Amino acid sequence: MQIGSVLRTERLGMRFQGPGGEIRLFQDLDLHIDNGETVAILGASGCGKSTLLGLLAGLDTPTEGRVLVGDTDITALDEDARARLRSRHVGFVFQAFHLLSGLTALENILLPLELAGHRDAQRLARDALERVGLANRDRHYPRQLSGGEQQRVAIARAFVTAPRLLLADEPTGNLDRDTGHRISDLLFTLNREQQTTLVLVTHDPELAGRCDRVLHLDGGRLVAA
Amino acid sequence: MSTLRLALRMLLRDWRAGELRLLALALVLSVTAITGVAWLADRVAGATESRASELLGGDRALVSDRPIDEVHALRALEQGLSVSRTLEFASVILVGDRTQLAALKAVGEGYPLRGQLQVGDDPDAKPETATTIPPRGEVWVEPRLLMQLGIAVGDTVELGARQFIVGRVLLLEPDRGRGFQSLAPRVMFNLDDVAATGLVQDASRVTHRLLVAGESPDVEAWQSTVQADRAESVRLESPGEGQPAVQRAMDTAKRFLGLSALLTVVVGGVAMLLTIRRYAARHLDRVAIMRCLGATQAGIAFLFTTKMILLGLATALIGTVLGYLVHLVMLALLADFLPSLPSPGWRPAVTGIGVAQVILLGFALPTVLRLRKVPPLRVLRRDLGGGVLKGVGVYLVALAAIFLLMWWQAGDLRLAVYVFVAVTGTLSLLGLGAALVVGILRRGWRAGGGSGVLVSAIGRRPWTTGVQIVALGLGLMALLLLSLVRDDLLQTWQDGVPDDAANYFLINIQPDEVDDVADMLAEAGVDTEVRPMVRGRLVAIDGNAVDAGAYEDPRARRAVSREFNLSWLERLPADNSVVEGRFWKGGDTVDPQLSIEREFAERIGVALGDTLRFRFGGDYYEAPVTSLREVKWDSFNVNFFVLASPGFLEDAPATYLTSFYLPEDSQVLLPRLVRAFPSVTLIDITSILEAVRSIMDQGVRVVELMALLTLVSGLVVLLAALQVTREERRFESALLRALGGSRGLIRRLALTEFLLLGGAAGVLAGAGAAVAGYWMARSLFDLDYGINPLLPVAGLLAGVLVVTVAGAAATRGLYRVSPMRLLKSSEEG
Repeated sequence: MQIGSVLRTERLGMRFQGPGGEIRLFQDLDLHIDNGETVAILGASGCGKSTLLGLLAGLDTPTEGRVLVGDTDITALDEDARARLRSRHVGFVFQAFHLLSGLTALENILLPLELAGHRDAQRLARDALERVGLANRDRHYPRQLSGGEQQRVAIARAFVTAPRLLLADEPTGNLDRDTGHRISDLLFTLNREQQTTLVLVTHDPELAGRCDRVLHLDGGRLVAA
Repeated sequence: MSTLRLALRMLLRDWRAGELRLLALALVLSVTAITGVAWLADRVAGATESRASELLGGDRALVSDRPIDEVHALRALEQGLSVSRTLEFASVILVGDRTQLAALKAVGEGYPLRGQLQVGDDPDAKPETATTIPPRGEVWVEPRLLMQLGIAVGDTVELGARQFIVGRVLLLEPDRGRGFQSLAPRVMFNLDDVAATGLVQDASRVTHRLLVAGESPDVEAWQSTVQADRAESVRLESPGEGQPAVQRAMDTAKRFLGLSALLTVVVGGVAMLLTIRRYAARHLDRVAIMRCLGATQAGIAFLFTTKMILLGLATALIGTVLGYLVHLVMLALLADFLPSLPSPGWRPAVTGIGVAQVILLGFALPTVLRLRKVPPLRVLRRDLGGGVLKGVGVYLVALAAIFLLMWWQAGDLRLAVYVFVAVTGTLSLLGLGAALVVGILRRGWRAGGGSGVLVSAIGRRPWTTGVQIVALGLGLMALLLLSLVRDDLLQTWQDGVPDDAANYFLINIQPDEVDDVADMLAEAGVDTEVRPMVRGRLVAIDGNAVDAGAYEDPRARRAVSREFNLSWLERLPADNSVVEGRFWKGGDTVDPQLSIEREFAERIGVALGDTLRFRFGGDYYEAPVTSLREVKWDSFNVNFFVLASPGFLEDAPATYLTSFYLPEDSQVLLPRLVRAFPSVTLIDITSILEAVRSIMDQGVRVVELMALLTLVSGLVVLLAALQVTREERRFESALLRALGGSRGLIRRLALTEFLLLGGAAGVLAGAGAAVAGYWMARSLFDLDYGINPLLPVAGLLAGVLVVTVAGAAATRGLYRVSPMRLLKSSEEG
């Protein structure tokens, strides 16, 4: 296992043009996340925490500063290079699950494996489905699964490529309390087993409390809780 | 009034939002196709109606294969009517060693009594009205003859035994254009020159016309005297009824074009159903809010109906204008065959507006009307009311609308049912094929594991994929059928014709010329037989008088109502085979008997053993039918429906004819033949076949235009399906990017999807066209045509090209969406 920070930002800032002039979402964010660490980012609605998560994943480019995944400055990479990096090192879990409705549970998990060109895709996908407890649901389509089950498929999809970094955006936000609990259990268990670095964005303090470190995004600054 | 304004405002808003564009596009295409045909039909029909007298050349005409009794003309003159005569026949025109079959027309003083001849000094001259008929010693010719013979006005040509100067170019002849005669270029000359040419003998095949014109009551008085005592061989023609064959052909063409225009409506209808469904789904919330704010169900229904009617009016206007342009293209394509046309009327525009409303009411209104059932409670519970758009009712209404339109175009319930079943059957088969393709691709993706993601788009959207394959397939199929299968059929037919099949006919050989003609042919090394031919009328079958009116089949009616050709011979020709009874053996000693071609016998209701009675001139001949034959007409040898045993008809007035094959390098024989036997008519079959082919080509091009509109409608379906799946595609693209897919990969995925989609539609269309062509060849044209395995390949290429280009263009930019939008839901919440 690699020692040192797996994810780092330097003087990260984001602003954009709004109807009433320039809006500065945040600036001068310096963040170090170590390998295997779990970090929660808390914040009010519209404070820019999802935007921050997108920048960490290289889905968007910042207006200032840079983001480093391992030793790679992803802000210096082009779109496709960032996509390649994601396919190897980054997993995602979304609030709205974001499964493809025309694909079965198993096929949804196969998707990132195929994008990354894995040889043993079928076996890996089945293993992943089994680990989230849905081995018997492999042929079900998302609409035939409950919300909790869909998020479990999404978690299996996120972990199946064994990413170094897992980014989760309100993973329990669309679920009831009990289901949310079970999903977060699963998330943290798998994270531990695979020694993944987890960054999650939430406004649920309880979920945040399960992380090693909790940061507040407030007024454009990251503050440790 | 306020609802109307509200509806208009909402419609404009929808338009700006791009919600109704594809619906409108599909509707415009449908109206374009239908009004294009309507404009064409209206103007051509107008030309025939308003100019019926001109088409006849007079108010009444007596027509006969024999000279017309002088008494009719004298009576007409007595009654103060104007009179003129014409004589039409085919003969060869000579310029040095070059020969060209021409449709000759000798015209008498006064011609034409109705309408005007337009002439000029060269083919491109501005037409001027001729005030006289061609003076003696002069011929007026159609422009194409000048090109065919390489001559100009002022040059000399030979017609039979006389030389003529080409005086003018004939640019418009009002009473032109009847069947076979119109295939050869017209040569017009003075009736008084006929005798000098020596071209017309007693038994020559010519058409005499006596034209009469004057005040209506006088004409009618004359008509009643003529009807009382005209000879049986003389036919009286009045304006309009004179050209039943042309009329019928036009009616058939109009129906056929009208029905092919409906294919565009069928395919466009799919696009309309797709877009209106999406439109309605996107309006669920808006309607719920309106209901919540107090709009009644009836109010909502009225609002949306008004919106649809306004949309229908707007699209009808555009579609009618485009249809007008399409009809101009069709007129240009058909230019060689159309008379000069009256100015366009307004009726087709009304048709366009009516049709647009029917289509909208059938395809769009039922769906939007369901919106009135959206419960107002949806504003609180978003899961309510989503189901109001479900159900098969809208499809049934759409099918009913299509059927009504077919009924209207066909003007005949049975034909409408037939076409409806054929179209829906084809659609179902294409649908089945599409389901098969989608099924195989899905299975392939499941089984393949590794490469699955590349074909997954098809499997992920089986319904929209299937619909697109069917709609595009139908358009492509119509196009392939018209272009490739037509060429195939012609080729098959030509291949069936042996290389040494006769390419020339000599007809009108007089009995005293038979030996000399035969000798000249033999000397030139031409191997052929000269056959006798007598023209007679069938008067009784088994003692029962023949009544033309009793036959339903128009061809049978025509056959028995005029004289037809019989011959006699000793032995059965090689290209004939007896299928029933026995053919006679031996020479002059056999009893009188007849042998009839099987299909012809069936048509006129004659069976083996029946006794037929014929009249030749004033004499009657009677004999039993002792055999039925099948004839290989492809050989182009001289053949007859009715053959008599030798000796039986030898007293009847006969002319002789023959056919032979002459290789291109021995054609110097032709001018020698024509000069030696001026009254013999030489017919060049190759040039006639070419003329037939060019007519077919021009007709088919018009239908191809319709098929092209259908294909464009298919593309609108593709665009509609892309619009329906737009959100899904954006989301997929964003997700794939988030999961690490490159832009190139996403573009390749879309490209693969279009390749597969176009390929599947193309292969199915090709296979469909091959099967349809096979069926048509066998059952309609009686050709031994196999299934062309290249058609699916051609379909594949065409489909891939069309769909990939259109699809890639339509989705450009769609895949550049930022994956950040996946995180948006939480950003908002």
